[in-house]
Order: sequence, then structure tokens, then C-alpha cells
Amino acid sequence: MNTVKAVFRNPPLLTLILVILVWIVASLTLRGFGAYGHLRYLLELSAVIGIAAAGQTLVILMGGIDLSVGAVITVTAILLPLISPDSDPSGLAGIVLTLGIASGIGLLNGVGAAYLKVPPIIMTLAMATFLQGMLVIIAGGSAVSVTNASVVWLGQARPFGVPAGVLLWLFVSIAMLVIIHRMPAGARFLALGANPLAARLSGISVRRDTLFLFTLSGFFAGLAGILILGMNRQGYVGIGDPYLLTSIAAVVLGGTSILGGRGTYAGTIPGAILLVTTTALITVVNASPGWRSIMFGSLILALLLISGREARR
Amino acid sequence: MNATTVPANLYAAVQKRRNRGLAGLYLVVAAFLVVYAVLFPGLLSVGGFSKFTQNWFPLALVTMAQALMMLNGGISLAIGPLVSLGAVIAAVTMGGTLGALGGLLAVSATGLFIGAVTGGIVAYLRLPAIIVTLAGSFIITGVALILLPRPGGYVPEWFSDLLAGHTPVAFGLLVLLLIGWKLYLATPLGVGIYAAGNNPVGAFRSGVPVERVKVFAFALSGLLAMLAGLFVAAQTGSGDPVIGTPFTLNSIAGAVLGGVAFLGGKGTMRGVICGSLLLSVMINVMFFLGFPPVAQYVAQGLIIVGAVAIPQLTSQWRTRP
Repeated sequence: MNTVKAVFRNPPLLTLILVILVWIVASLTLRGFGAYGHLRYLLELSAVIGIAAAGQTLVILMGGIDLSVGAVITVTAILLPLISPDSDPSGLAGIVLTLGIASGIGLLNGVGAAYLKVPPIIMTLAMATFLQGMLVIIAGGSAVSVTNASVVWLGQARPFGVPAGVLLWLFVSIAMLVIIHRMPAGARFLALGANPLAARLSGISVRRDTLFLFTLSGFFAGLAGILILGMNRQGYVGIGDPYLLTSIAAVVLGGTSILGGRGTYAGTIPGAILLVTTTALITVVNASPGWRSIMFGSLILALLLISGREARR
Repeated sequence: MNATTVPANLYAAVQKRRNRGLAGLYLVVAAFLVVYAVLFPGLLSVGGFSKFTQNWFPLALVTMAQALMMLNGGISLAIGPLVSLGAVIAAVTMGGTLGALGGLLAVSATGLFIGAVTGGIVAYLRLPAIIVTLAGSFIITGVALILLPRPGGYVPEWFSDLLAGHTPVAFGLLVLLLIGWKLYLATPLGVGIYAAGNNPVGAFRSGVPVERVKVFAFALSGLLAMLAGLFVAAQTGSGDPVIGTPFTLNSIAGAVLGGVAFLGGKGTMRGVICGSLLLSVMINVMFFLGFPPVAQYVAQGLIIVGAVAIPQLTSQWRTRP
């Protein structure tokens, strides 16, 4: 009885158990769902959401929200093929440049939030609007194909039978967990989210940490953009749009409080897998787009009732 | 402060305080309106005024809907889908036996119902509004797509002419809505919005029915958003299951420009109306100056940040010793 209670008090574990249950039931009832190739494909799709949600987790932990994640993903996916120099056959220079730009966009968000005191939701919303305008100038509405060797490798290669994207996600996850739970910076972020005034009075440089968090969020969104570009082989306007809401949903499904100060990336990982699995199951049902959308929304709501509830007053 | 004079002056004092932060906004809106009238003198004729207010009207409605959510300390990501659903229900039902009146009733009832259910989930099951409306936006979009998979349906011509013709009916409706808001604020459920949004625990302990206040405010918010959809359907003469999409972000932008605080309990409906007016005029002025749509996005982003940052910075500068 006590173990059951403990599970319900531990949202990351609860989400993980939900994922395992759904996978077992679906594998037993649906032909082909449990095949290794299919499960690996689901993990590959989860990696994009999981990496985009890494930055989102950090920003939500400090009590903000990043609405520019989708726009940054689109920007990197379109910009990378354009700015990769031909003189560099490895393609790494293009990746570094693009990640620099993505981090720069995040830094600008941070400047708005920390120095101009614009609420993060507004700052990132305005940034998304701004980027949307810039994209039309840059890309002119047409799709761009990627030839960058490193990006293609990231999207297609399978060292030791594991997709490179999943390995990248594993690396990001370990880094995130170390930052949040094993480094002083993580403790500062949580303190900022729990009580900004108390955090400031105890000597935390709120401005520096806010800048750092938003820069990281931009960086991770850029990383997700590069990964999806490699998997898709093409970048186009709107490619990142689905990842804005799913990144927020993954964080909240993982038990992180949308109000900040409480949560962990350990929950976001199964949260991302759960979202992708839900979408896959709905595709299997073969319903019309309308019904699919209704099922997806209802399932998220039901999952939230289990794992995402705020504390009672 | 002299205790005996408080009851008489309290209202004036409160109003003065609530208007203080809005003076800049009023000035900017007035300046933009003058620029617009100079660029487009037709604004001053009845027809021009009607057309302008009709373009503004749905934005004003959704901004009010969003402001209701934000005063409660939440935020709605389902405003756009609600507008789409309102347009779809109007276009589907108005061709039926009950006609335009039936359509109006169907849209209103659905809006109140969806809002009340959302509010109930947020208030009684204690889920954050942003997440519930995020999930809700998928469900609402799905319903709209099932009712009307592709743009179509029918809105009676006389109904379109009445709402979106050459008469300023839309503006009259907006004035009526503002009077309705004043009346609502005079009821216990209305005045409770500010208390419950600012300090739910304190409001609860002072006897405000916090949960019921929320459910009512959410229901009204749903009604306003769906009515905006009805109006959009009347404007275009048909329904479209995705026509409302841009309204979600614009409603947030308008409410924030209007000075509604994110943490709830702060903000005025007149500020919100001004905020939506500013957004609407801004888009119109940029269109008339021949800005490409791209520059409009960029300028919109800059203006939103500026509108929020400048008051913050000046107040900071003022309080610095």
C-alpha cells in the first residue's frame, strides 16, 4: 500500500509506469506495435520532442515558459542548409554556426526577460512572431534540402543498431540530470522558480541565471531542429510548429509544475515517449483527422489528471 | 487617510490608481488613430468607421475573453479553436429550420458549456488553466473538423448585412458588451474575479466562492470567443474550421498591451479594449503604409515587447533613489 502511495507521489515514476503499461498492452493487442523496428522508430521521434523539451523543462522550472521553441526549430532547420559553407565537407562548421544563432535567439529572450522585465511568455511570444517574419524573408516560403554530411549522419545513422538521434538524446538527458540535480546551478534554477524574491535575497544573480536558462533553451531547440532536419532531409516553414505545444505537454506530463520550482527532467523523458506513443496509437485506429485530434486532446487531459495535478490549497 | 472620508472617495481613488498605468496606452492609441485618420480620411465617414470597427470587433471580443482568463490567474490557449468552432457551428446551424436565431442560440450555448466545463476542470480538479486549454484546443479543433471538414456552410445574407454591412452595428454591440461587463462587475461573482485572481486563499477565507467565480468567468470567456467566431462567419458568409488560429496569440498580445497582469487580479476591461484597438490600428496603419506582411510581423513583435518593457523600465527608474 505504501509503495502504491509512493508511486503516486512520484510523477516521473508514474509517467514511466504509464509508458511501460501502454507499450505492453499495445504490443499484445496490436500487430506490429511491439516489433523492435517500430519501438525504435517511436524512440527516434521521441528524441526530437525530448531534446526540444529539455530547454523547456529548464525555463518552466524557473517559473517561465518558452513559446519560441517551435520558431527556433524552424529557423535552424531552414538556416542550416543555407549557411553551411561548401568549403567544409564535414558540415560541422554549419552546425556550430546554427547552434550559435539558436543560442543567440535564446540569449535575446533572456535579455528581454531579465533586463527589460518582459514576462517570459510575452517575450518569447514576440520573439516567435518576429522570427516568423524573418523566415519569410530568408526562405521565401520554399523548402530547402540538406546536404550537410554531419546532419544527414545524425538523422540516418545507427551506430550499434541504435539511432544516432536517440544516442544524442541519451547524452542530453544525462547532461540535464547532472545540471539539475548535481550542480549548484540546478539548485539555483529551482530556487528561482519556487520564490524569485527569496532567491534574489539569498544572493542568487537572477539576471545571470535567467540569461543562462534562456540561452540553453535556445540551444536545445536548435539541436532539436538540426535533428529533425537530418531525419526529414528537408526544412520548410512550419516544420517546428508541432513541437511548441508538445514540448510543454511533455514537461507537464512528467510532473513538472507549470508554476515553476518543482520538477525534474527525469519526468520529461517518459513524458515525451508517452506523447509519441499516444499519437502512434491514434494513427493505428485510422480515424478521421477530427476524431484523431479529439482523442489526442482527451488522452492528454486524462493523463494530466493522473500525473500533472497541482497541490491542493 | 481620514477614515470617515474613505467610503466617498474610495471608488475615485481606486479608479485613479487603476488608470494610472494606462495613460501611456491611451496616448499611443490616440496617436495611432490620428495617423490612421490622416492616412485614410474615409475612417471619418459612417461606412469607413463601420468597416474599421468590424475588423476590430472580433479581436476585441477574443481579447476580452483572454482577459477574463488572465484576471483569474490563468491563460487560455484555446481561444483560436473556440473562434473556429463558433464560426463552424454558426455556418452549419443557420441553414437549418431555426435559422439565424437558432444558430445564435447554438453558438452561445456551446460557448457557455465549453467554458464552464473548462472552468470546472481548472477549479475543482486543480489543473493549471494553460494545460487544460492546451488539451482542450485539440478537442475543440477536432469537433470543428468533424462538423465541417472543409470551409463551407451557410450564413443568411441579411444576417451578414446586419452585422457586417455598412452600419456601425458592431460598434454598438461592443458598447453594450462594456455596459454588460460593468453590470457583471457589480454582482458578487463579478467582483470576486479580482479577489480570486489576486489572492485565491485570501478571497476564499473572506467568503468569496472562488470555484464558482472561476467557472462563471470561464463560461463567459468561452461565450465571448465563440461569439467572435459567429461574427467572423457573418463577415465571410461561411464557416472555416481553422479560421480562428491567429486569434490565440493576438488575444494574449492585446490583453497584455491592455495592461492585464499575468499573475491575475490586475487589469481593467477599458485597458483591454484599448489594447485590442491598438493592435488592430497598428495592423491597419502598417497595411496602409505599404509595409510588406513580413515587416508587420517584425514590427508587431517589437511593439509588443516595447509596450510591456517601457512602463516597467520607467517605473523602475522612478522608484530608484
